[in-house]
Amino acid sequence: MTSLAWERRKGSVARFWTSYRTRRAGLYGLAGLVLIALLALTAPWTVGSDVQSVTEAPGTALEPPSAAFPLGTDQFGRSLLGLLIWGARISLLVGLLAATLSVAIGTLVGIIAGHYGGWFSTVVMRITDWFLVMPTLVLAIVLATVMSRSMWTVVLAIGVTSWPTTARLVRAQTIAVESRPYIERATALGGGHRHVMLRHVLPNVMPLVLAQTTLGISTAILTEATLAFLGLGDPTVVSWGGMLQDAREAGAVSSGHWWYLAPPGIAIALVALAFTLCGRAVESVLNPKLGVGR
Amino acid sequence: MVMVTKVPPRPAPARRALRLLLAGGLAAGSLVVAPGTVQAEDGKSGGTTLTVAVSQSIDSLSPFLAQKLTSTSIHRLAYEYLTNYDPKDAHTIPGLATAWTSSADKLTWTYTIRKDSTWSDGQQATAEDAAWTFNKMMTDPNAATANGSFTANFAQVTAPDPQTLVIRLKKPQATMTALDVPIVPKHVWEKVTDFSKFNNDKQFPIVGNGPFVITDFKVDQYIKLKPNKKFWRGAPKFDELVFKYYKDGDAAVAALQKGEVSFVPNLTPAQAAALKTQKDIKVNDAPGRRFYALATNPGAKAQDGKAFGNGNKALLDPEVRKALFLAVDRTTLVDKVFQGHAVEGEGYIPPRFGSYFWKPETAQERAYDPVRAEKVLDTAGYRKDAAGKRLGKDGRPLEFRILCHATDPNDKAVGKYLQEWWGKLGIGLKVECLDSVSDPWVKGDYDLAFDGWSVNPDPDYVLSIHTCGTLPATPKDSGATDNFICDKQFDGLYAQQAVEYDAAKRADLVKRMQSRLYDTGYMNVMAYPNALEAYRTDQIRSITTMPEAAGNLWGQDGYWSWWSAVPAAQAEDSDGGSSTGVIVGIVAAVVVVVGVGAFLGMRRRSTADDRE
Repeated sequence: MTSLAWERRKGSVARFWTSYRTRRAGLYGLAGLVLIALLALTAPWTVGSDVQSVTEAPGTALEPPSAAFPLGTDQFGRSLLGLLIWGARISLLVGLLAATLSVAIGTLVGIIAGHYGGWFSTVVMRITDWFLVMPTLVLAIVLATVMSRSMWTVVLAIGVTSWPTTARLVRAQTIAVESRPYIERATALGGGHRHVMLRHVLPNVMPLVLAQTTLGISTAILTEATLAFLGLGDPTVVSWGGMLQDAREAGAVSSGHWWYLAPPGIAIALVALAFTLCGRAVESVLNPKLGVGR
Repeated sequence: MVMVTKVPPRPAPARRALRLLLAGGLAAGSLVVAPGTVQAEDGKSGGTTLTVAVSQSIDSLSPFLAQKLTSTSIHRLAYEYLTNYDPKDAHTIPGLATAWTSSADKLTWTYTIRKDSTWSDGQQATAEDAAWTFNKMMTDPNAATANGSFTANFAQVTAPDPQTLVIRLKKPQATMTALDVPIVPKHVWEKVTDFSKFNNDKQFPIVGNGPFVITDFKVDQYIKLKPNKKFWRGAPKFDELVFKYYKDGDAAVAALQKGEVSFVPNLTPAQAAALKTQKDIKVNDAPGRRFYALATNPGAKAQDGKAFGNGNKALLDPEVRKALFLAVDRTTLVDKVFQGHAVEGEGYIPPRFGSYFWKPETAQERAYDPVRAEKVLDTAGYRKDAAGKRLGKDGRPLEFRILCHATDPNDKAVGKYLQEWWGKLGIGLKVECLDSVSDPWVKGDYDLAFDGWSVNPDPDYVLSIHTCGTLPATPKDSGATDNFICDKQFDGLYAQQAVEYDAAKRADLVKRMQSRLYDTGYMNVMAYPNALEAYRTDQIRSITTMPEAAGNLWGQDGYWSWWSAVPAAQAEDSDGGSSTGVIVGIVAAVVVVVGVGAFLGMRRRSTADDRE
């Protein structure tokens, strides 16, 4: 029985990959992601955590790019290339965690609302609507301001403000799944709410959730960078948005120190692009309308 | 009993608003290009305009309420004070009063009011106006909000004739020739009913007798002033003075480069270095009047004796504070954080105020010595555990918090250094950056904090904020105290200097106070930051700094800079400001746009068959 299930899963993964492989943009995105993830994961060995140290900074303030510092130095004399690689860790981590949190909340709300329906669904969906019309950035800024400044605050702020889209999507999908006859059969055989939601609905909305997460990461990374840039991140942690904020505070914009500004900005754009490319490809492969992900 | 000069501002004004505006998109391009999009000024209207970029909001235009540096600087321009400070060396010179004498018992001061000062509505400014201003502050607590401590020791103020003002004191007061109180026209202000609510910003022009007249004001947009042609010291040379708001430092610098503003204060070292190489811009790097310090929470107490706040108990041990301060390398901070645009901190009052400047003797000095810091902690019984963490008396690792101003880049930068220096001692530090630090500060909910005050030529105020008398009455109130220091010896010296009329003796007392403050070990003055500012030489031909040799322009004790500024002959050449930053911004924007375009193109192709 289990081996059968494994067989089936293996088959669907293979089918997924065959289909994904045909999407060139998705492959580019994936390659970019693998590269960036490798850089971030190996950072402790390539650049080391000493790169953040201000007291042992190797250079002088705001040096232009040179052989020793390919991207120049920041106002403390630290290597910007090192900081860029080190900062990838935080930016990616926050992006992943925030997107996961956001999608988790969205899925929970969506499935519960879709499953129970009736007035309960109406109430939950009105709350969702309320969050949906609320500008995410403004709400996140408010949250990040009132809570203490740490990475977790940023994760929480992004997570609790960006879930409504997922909730709406998942609810629609839940309703679609639950209208199928086999759910009725499961209920007739004594399946409770929990069984239906966990065993039948969740696996069926999973592809949607997966695609939504991948797309959500790029938004989350952008929001994280925006919050850090606005000075709402943890100032003691190196992240891409934080680097941009540091650059601004050092006056790099008006004094023409482009090597301080451009790399983190471009890095943010590239990572967001890579995640979006992957997310779109996954979405088009798993699109429930095509019936592939079942 | 406390005589307070104007409240100098806490460091760095908020910069949030523009940053929020900039938040819209975070593509690299939009960041860089944004500062260039500030709209060009349209209302040139012929005459010469001196535009000054400011960022700190106006708290009130009422001289009875205003406490922030921008507001008090503008009141300097719009109203005369009894006395003024000489731009050369800040000694007291005549203002609205031409002469002053004190009686033999030091309790009666008689000022002669000048005859050639008229209000901008044509009426003569007299001793009656001054007497009314002081009497109002003595009788109406709401009118005493900003400068009330000057008049707290006044017994009676009278104007026997239009040219004579007599002030009787309860006890001698050393600040009588440094009364930084704007004198307002009685015939205008006697109509005001509620001084706590009247902000003086409804009817323009505002009647005054200073070198300029305030003609218009829009919150966080601009303040416009016109010269007072009848000003007794001579009318200012510019036809208009505009303080224009730039909440973002880089936007202000971009505006300076394009010639939209004539003057920008508070530059960063990088901005100053870049501006130095540009033509028609002069960078002024002058010794500042601020000190920048680390303050420790000495166990916040109110006057009723009740302790409050959650300051770390370990900091009550002088040895811990000593070790912390010993591990702070002030030379590195000046070199790296201020990049040389500061003077290393020593006593308390900046060296610029030569007669009051004091530095610690070798025996008492806490020079940078991390090895000694380790020893001090070891001897005091704070051992390191296996993980290298320093343990407190309660057996738990020492871990402090430091309050930092989120709007001040220097706080964050210094915080990074402190984390590493103290980390080597085995002491943890959490940098808590807030937009407004005053809430936890007033409640005593901090361990350490970044502290800084502007010092006036008369040091009374910055000394008064460390006396027991300024502690809050109860834990629920807020007092004028800086960080809850209360030391009987310091208070005794303070009381002595407050009644000392002999300048040399008073200076000596002030130095002894600083020595005592240093020995209490609650504060570590790290640096005296320079005033870094720049102006366009093709708009301003000459301008007076204070002190005249190597002095600052923004935030002077007097109206000298803007009053003395001479416009340059009108030469129209702008457009020199297309800096590298903007070019790079455009390049980055193009990269992003191309990237997005390519992505959209591919996406279109790849999902063409999915779409219906």
